Amino acid sequence: MLSDVLNPDLFASAIRVATPLALAAIGGTICERSGVVNIALEGMMLVGAFFGTAATLALQGTSIGPLAAVWIGLATAVATGALFSLIHAFASIDLRMEQVVSGTALNILALGLTGFLMESFYGHPGSTDAVRETLPQVFNFPVAAAGSGLLGTVWTWINTLLFSHSPIAYMAIAIAVIGQWALYRTRWGVRLRALGEHPRAADTVGINVRRGRYAAVVISGALAGLAGANLALEQVGTFTENMTNGRGFIALAANIFGRWTPVGSYLASLLFGFTDALQIKLQLVSSAIKVPPQFFLMLPYVLTVVVLAGVMGRAVAPAAVGKPYEKE
Amino acid sequence: MAGRPEIVEQRDWTGIAIKAFSPVVSVILAVLISSLIIWAFGKDPVAAFSALIRGSFGSMNYIGETFLSAVPLMFTGLAVAYGFRSGLFNIGAEGQLFMGGLAGAYLGVVLGGMSVFIALPAIIIAGALAGAAWAFIPAVLKARVGAHEVITTMMFGYIARYIVSWLVTGPLKAPGPIPQTDLIGAGAVLPRIVQVFPALQLGRAHMGLLIAVGCAALMWFILKYTTTGYESRAVGFNPLAAENGGISIASTTVKALCISGALAGLAGVVEVLGVQGRIFDTFSSGFGFTGIAVALLAKNNPIAVIPAAILFGALSAGSSLMQLEANVPIKVVSIIQGLIIFFVATEPFVSKWIARRRKEVTARAQ
Repeated sequence: MLSDVLNPDLFASAIRVATPLALAAIGGTICERSGVVNIALEGMMLVGAFFGTAATLALQGTSIGPLAAVWIGLATAVATGALFSLIHAFASIDLRMEQVVSGTALNILALGLTGFLMESFYGHPGSTDAVRETLPQVFNFPVAAAGSGLLGTVWTWINTLLFSHSPIAYMAIAIAVIGQWALYRTRWGVRLRALGEHPRAADTVGINVRRGRYAAVVISGALAGLAGANLALEQVGTFTENMTNGRGFIALAANIFGRWTPVGSYLASLLFGFTDALQIKLQLVSSAIKVPPQFFLMLPYVLTVVVLAGVMGRAVAPAAVGKPYEKE
Repeated sequence: MAGRPEIVEQRDWTGIAIKAFSPVVSVILAVLISSLIIWAFGKDPVAAFSALIRGSFGSMNYIGETFLSAVPLMFTGLAVAYGFRSGLFNIGAEGQLFMGGLAGAYLGVVLGGMSVFIALPAIIIAGALAGAAWAFIPAVLKARVGAHEVITTMMFGYIARYIVSWLVTGPLKAPGPIPQTDLIGAGAVLPRIVQVFPALQLGRAHMGLLIAVGCAALMWFILKYTTTGYESRAVGFNPLAAENGGISIASTTVKALCISGALAGLAGVVEVLGVQGRIFDTFSSGFGFTGIAVALLAKNNPIAVIPAAILFGALSAGSSLMQLEANVPIKVVSIIQGLIIFFVATEPFVSKWIARRRKEVTARAQ
């Protein structure tokens, strides 16, 4: 029974579950580092997931074929996520609106808009049709390459853990590493962090606060859109109403747990991913161990609270986060 | 009252007028934009909104349905508004509502055989306490380690839903195929308005409406005339100044979030005792989240929460007729809600802009 739970598939699915969380969390990191709170990650993911799926469904029957269609769907998801985030940027940077309120409005709007468009396009609530092809696995090494025995087991673990994923899972890891480098090793990163810590000082030395914050919000929207594409086009293959189901908020917690750093966000997401993967595995054996499945379903949310309760020490947010900047 | 400083505001009548009318303008703008969306999809916005209005205020029965939908929103709107007044964003009112509903459903069965005059008040108070208890842990975490309440209350919301889901499929499941609790006893049923006042033929609308209005008045009184309310407002207004003035941020935060949770808990218990008679997985259609929209539209004023909740109740009650007659998806209501919040929140910017323009005009005139 233990091998039903503790197997390479558990860790591989931890990476799968972590991917959308990590992308949104890194988006949140970049956004908050620039001084803008983004609780609309949830809505931006939803928008990306919907339009990505809609584009794929529209194009898969044409001459370009279903595989090209799903890649265009991915690009559409990123673009629509970024486009939707422009509303948040405009509201919080130019209108100096309460950022949490703008985010809440966008979350409700995204839920309504995607639901409304879904019924208008496809004639029914719930889910869209399935896309014909989801984003394909990147590597396809033979499972039995190393035969049976110890070597075979080792190969199975390596192959499942490292080579069984679809493209966005690898993109997320790359984005975490590149993001970390960009934030700490480039001029852009120093400037971005200055915007979130002390915008007045940044402004004084000639950094354009408005432009820098716009860029950060749009990047976070694009990443949230990519996270949506991962859910709809890689993991599920359809768009379902409210399919993000709170992931945007867990991503925010992962960002805090990861201390506002891209790699930290990824690792924190991996922890949530692992809890969720474990939860799914445990559900399969829940009747055998006589624990109701709901207790496993709660795990990721309980973990989020425990993490925020500061078991791991208190994290310090960027000093100017959430505060609109007004030029003197 | 004596000897206590008041938070004084300057009287700027134009500013006050803008503040007062901005919700109305916001609603109109939201209706216009959603009309455009409806029209863009080849449906008739005039038919849609006429059906929406008839479906919510067209007859006594429809008005009753509007009140029925508005009551939980009044409670959750008050809950979120009380949080905002204290500088807290209780985004997890939905979870506290589930806990209040759970207390109501459980005690409604246990105490349902008793007299209405004992059972009803006892259960309603228990529901409020259950909501407060569910807000207590996030409140303490906020006060002690600064864990952001937006995330913790949200997570507690999910946890509450899974607890209810487990109880209605397991320990508290009523006999039969459907995962739900037993029907509450007669002593626990909140009477309909028409049963108390036969002249008001308001269909299914129940006496929870009166409780909600009473709570709004009570909250207004607490905020304006009690030390607790004063401290809440002071911390919400400027926490550092409040602390310098001798108010404990930590204990005010805990108290405020628990009061907010209690109001959300009332939403749940009243919904169970007045409408559903039991609890099940989907007994709330996102009342906690719509409460946020209600509070923002009401600008966190407890009295204004009443009309704001009636407006949102009307949107939800009328949306079925709108779908039936104009074939417009119900989801358009969420679009309207999102737009309303958005436009209401632009008010400070708009008033500042107008003030600046007026200054320019007077400067030019001189």
